Amino acid sequence: MSILKTHDLKKIYGTGENTVHALAGVNLQVETGEFMAIVGTSGSGKSTLLHMLGGLDRPTGGMVTVDGKDIFSLKDEELTIFRRRKIGFVFQNYNLVPVLNVYENIVLPIQLDGNRPDCAYVDSIIETLGLQSKLQNLPNNLSGGQQQRVAIARALAAKPAIVLADEPTGNLDSKTSQDVLGLLKVTSQKFSQTIVMITHNEEIAQLADRIVRIEDGLIVAR
Amino acid sequence: MNVANRKCIRGLSVKSMRAARSRNLIAILAIALTAVLFTSLFTVALSINDSFQQANFRQVGGWSHGGFKYLTLKQFEEIKNDPLIEQYGLRRFVGMPENAPFLKSHVEIGYSDINQAHWMYCDPVEGRLPTEDSKEAATDTRVLELLGVEPVLGNEFTMTFDVDGTEVTETFVLSGWWEYDEAIVANHVLIPHSRAQAIYDQVGIGSGIGNDGMTGSWNLDVMLGSSLHIKQDLSKILANHGYQTENSSAGDNYIPTGVNWGYTGSQLADNIDPITVVAIAGLLLIIIFTGYLIIYNVFQISVSNDIRFYGLLKTIGTTGRQIKRIIRQQALLLSLIGIPLGLLVGYGVGTRLTPVVLSRLNGVVQDTVSASPLIFIGSALFALVTVVISCRRPGRMAARVSPVEAVLYTEEMANKKTIRKAQSGASLPRMAWANLGRNRSKTAITVASLSLAVLLLNMTVTFINGFDMDKYLSKMAADFIVADAGYFQVGNMWSAERALPEEIITELEANPGIEAGGRVYGKSSPVEEFVTEDYYRAMYGAWNDQETLDNSVAVAQKNEAGLLADQVQLFGMERYALGKLQVLEGDLSKLHESGGRYVAAVYSDDDYGNPQMDSNWAKIGDTVTLRYVEEYEYYDPETGKILDPGNMLDDRPFRYRAKTYRDIDYEVAALITVPHSLSYRYYGADEFVMNDQTFIQDSGTSNIMYYACDVSDEGTADMETFLSDLTNEQMLQFDYESKSTYAAEFDSFRNMFLILGGVLSFIVGLVGVLNFLNAILTGILTRRREFAMLQSIGMTGNQLKTMLTWEGLYYALGAVTVSLLLSIAAGPLLSNVLASIFWFFTYRFTVLPILSIAPIFTVLGIAVPLMVYRTVSRQSIVERLRETE
Ligand SMILES: Nc1ncnc2c1ncn2[C@@H]1O[C@H](COP(=O)(O)OP(=O)(O)O)[C@@H](O)[C@H]1O
Ligand SMILES: [Mg+2]
Repeated sequence: MSILKTHDLKKIYGTGENTVHALAGVNLQVETGEFMAIVGTSGSGKSTLLHMLGGLDRPTGGMVTVDGKDIFSLKDEELTIFRRRKIGFVFQNYNLVPVLNVYENIVLPIQLDGNRPDCAYVDSIIETLGLQSKLQNLPNNLSGGQQQRVAIARALAAKPAIVLADEPTGNLDSKTSQDVLGLLKVTSQKFSQTIVMITHNEEIAQLADRIVRIEDGLIVAR
Repeated sequence: MNVANRKCIRGLSVKSMRAARSRNLIAILAIALTAVLFTSLFTVALSINDSFQQANFRQVGGWSHGGFKYLTLKQFEEIKNDPLIEQYGLRRFVGMPENAPFLKSHVEIGYSDINQAHWMYCDPVEGRLPTEDSKEAATDTRVLELLGVEPVLGNEFTMTFDVDGTEVTETFVLSGWWEYDEAIVANHVLIPHSRAQAIYDQVGIGSGIGNDGMTGSWNLDVMLGSSLHIKQDLSKILANHGYQTENSSAGDNYIPTGVNWGYTGSQLADNIDPITVVAIAGLLLIIIFTGYLIIYNVFQISVSNDIRFYGLLKTIGTTGRQIKRIIRQQALLLSLIGIPLGLLVGYGVGTRLTPVVLSRLNGVVQDTVSASPLIFIGSALFALVTVVISCRRPGRMAARVSPVEAVLYTEEMANKKTIRKAQSGASLPRMAWANLGRNRSKTAITVASLSLAVLLLNMTVTFINGFDMDKYLSKMAADFIVADAGYFQVGNMWSAERALPEEIITELEANPGIEAGGRVYGKSSPVEEFVTEDYYRAMYGAWNDQETLDNSVAVAQKNEAGLLADQVQLFGMERYALGKLQVLEGDLSKLHESGGRYVAAVYSDDDYGNPQMDSNWAKIGDTVTLRYVEEYEYYDPETGKILDPGNMLDDRPFRYRAKTYRDIDYEVAALITVPHSLSYRYYGADEFVMNDQTFIQDSGTSNIMYYACDVSDEGTADMETFLSDLTNEQMLQFDYESKSTYAAEFDSFRNMFLILGGVLSFIVGLVGVLNFLNAILTGILTRRREFAMLQSIGMTGNQLKTMLTWEGLYYALGAVTVSLLLSIAAGPLLSNVLASIFWFFTYRFTVLPILSIAPIFTVLGIAVPLMVYRTVSRQSIVERLRETE
């Protein structure tokens, strides 16, 4: 069963001479529990695609359905709420809230939704990611790899339908990158979490269950 | 550092400024507001000084720096071109009319050149000064009025006047006139030099100087380079020509000089009391502090936001000193716009505030708004100093940043916190609270800035609230007091010429509203008492040095018992006024005996009504011997020779003593204080009160100092109208005071403080709000990305707005709490200080202003973040996420 589907997804930036077809009609399906990698060169439209998948931005044309729901039929506020329930984001530069400690960062999406965190579940994520001893630390005194692990924990905490990761290891050295990717892979299996990760690095993409290639805003056949 | 280097730094500061438009705007406004505060303070202060000076000049009769008196033509010619003299004017006195209609006026006829006339305020509003070799003369409207001549050019008028003992009658043609100014003592009739010479010739003075040593002489008035050392300059000028002004009997090279005390006596520093000095210093400090709070904050915030940029500069080899210079240059560049703007606005504010203050100051008849360059130089300097002080710490911070740290720098690094105790999670208010902790100094300073305004406002209102009308009116012992206008004016001595005529009282008493009233007779003949030398020394010791004191004791007349004669001040009071006295000891019933030889000894009290028991020597039951002197005689203390008072030598010592007199003994029946409004209103000598009949009988005089009365409530308005009409329309030389004029005075006094305090609080409040705006603005702009991230993980726009609103509310709440606590803490201190300065102050605690400001702050706390957020939210989440700094 596919949890996420796009149909002829298009995004055009700018006007006139400056027009950029960042997405030129993408058709993509992601199956439940799948760990998918999207690879492509810089500027090929990967981030744009991910932003559309997560409902951060509205497309110029086409459709995205998550769990069978056309997400762009939602109003902005509804879309945000949909996002915090169904989507978890992991960014290249971690994007943690600097004034909150690790634990607070992790449970933030749940609390923004007005729910109490599922403690057992959150604890098991924390344990899996090896963050038990850092829960009270503020992000600025964690290493990059640790911060990214917190970001992954945050993305998982609300039990989203999909985790979208945009170059999660882009700011990390290769050793740390391996650790973080390993953890991502483990969580994907352990919690049967659907993950879409984008990267420009073929080697990293190899860890995924499936690799999709994007070029000039179009999915190209393998 | 070489020139190219400097240029490069300047280029950098200008370029990095372009990137900070809103910071610049806020900084300019902040600097401007600071300059506004300084400028308005200086404008008001200097205008008050100028007004005092003008009042002094008018009292003196002119504004030349000084002059040389009674010169011969030769001396005049010799001195007038001295290089120390910037400008000179000539005056030659001719004579004075002494008969009706000029009995009560001081009119001088003489020649003044154009400079001198100008310096004496003789500037014709119509026509011109008289031309030489004509019959023309110019004068003021008062002289014309007394002569019964219309102020129409070409009208003829004739005056009879005394010229060095000879009576002369002359007819003039009016060539110009100016308005009479009651503050100027002398009225002038200016005639051409040729006419003056003709008169001198006619009375036999010719080119010499008259018997009085004055008529026909040449008086040289001068303007010097500066008014700071007039006396020394005059002496120096004389010395240049071999004259001196120190010793009149040392030789024939003595020339008397006059220094215009309007210049020396009116210097702000001499004139003002310590309280004013403290108040001005306090205000300056508050302004500097206000300016510091915002300018510092603006730069501190902008530096911490641009810290990566400064780190980069460091990386590529910019020194810390150069970075400091970049920041200072930016501040100075912004001052270049902000300060002139502030000077302009501040001057406008100051000129509007000046009349408010001046109307409350005694002795100033005419408002003068100063346009002294000192205002602008001083204000600009103070503003600049504030700016420089304010950007020092931000400069140091930018200079200190290490290149490596700067790249990693986030606001939180400023506080070294690494741990945050586990919370059950982060609610929006808690996140907002945590956000305020990111840049503690910014939060603290913004809150302080807001609190300062509220605190000032609360202090103003507490102060105004404490003005106790009842206390104030208690000083006004009667509902109405009517007297010669001079009686009410500060600095005037009462004398027989200021007596109130019986007809006015008759007219007054015809008013139906009067419930009770009475006359008080003032002393208008010489009366002496006899006191011990100890008491004499104690009394005069306060104002005189030992030598002067010894001298006066030696000179004083002594009676058989060895007591010293001293002038005494007397009141002759009708029963009504006796009833208004405050009895300290004894009782007044004996004073009611008409013709009884009883007195009440007057003791002074301070503003708070505490009597000073050493202010008179007489105790209950004491006998006071009063000597009513009919005639004094002058004598030479060395030879004992009796001198002719009309013909005494300047340089011979002389003394005087009572020649014919009556001594009368009185018994002290009571010790009392006289309410200020019923007193002489100046301190003269020991005072005694007796009843009106005794006074008239014993002194042989019956000059009424004032008439006081109480009027029924219904009659008050009528009486007010009657008196106002009488004194303002019919008989200008008389004036009155009433409870309602006191109340009005009180109100205007209170209003002055309300307006001053209100304006100060308002501008400081603007600064606070600006600071708040800047804090919120920068707080939101620098977190654009963070907000996008929060939104991407599911924070809705409303949640974000709620969080920001909480941040704003915490500021507001902080400001209200801080000012509330400070007000409560400072209350007792403030009350003590104020009550010791203003006798009519009663402390009443209030925090009402704070509570009424609270809603305004709440609205601001909500509205400002929402407004600022709107501008940020125009950018889409993805745009903000993609933004890299
Ligand atoms: N806001 C924007 N305005 C204009 N062009 C944009 C914008 N965002 C992205 N693009 C363009 O769209 C294309 C795809 O960008 P992006 O999705 O970021 O690629 P990738 O993530 O694969 O490097 C690029 O050519 C980029 O320049
Ligand atoms: Mg990308």
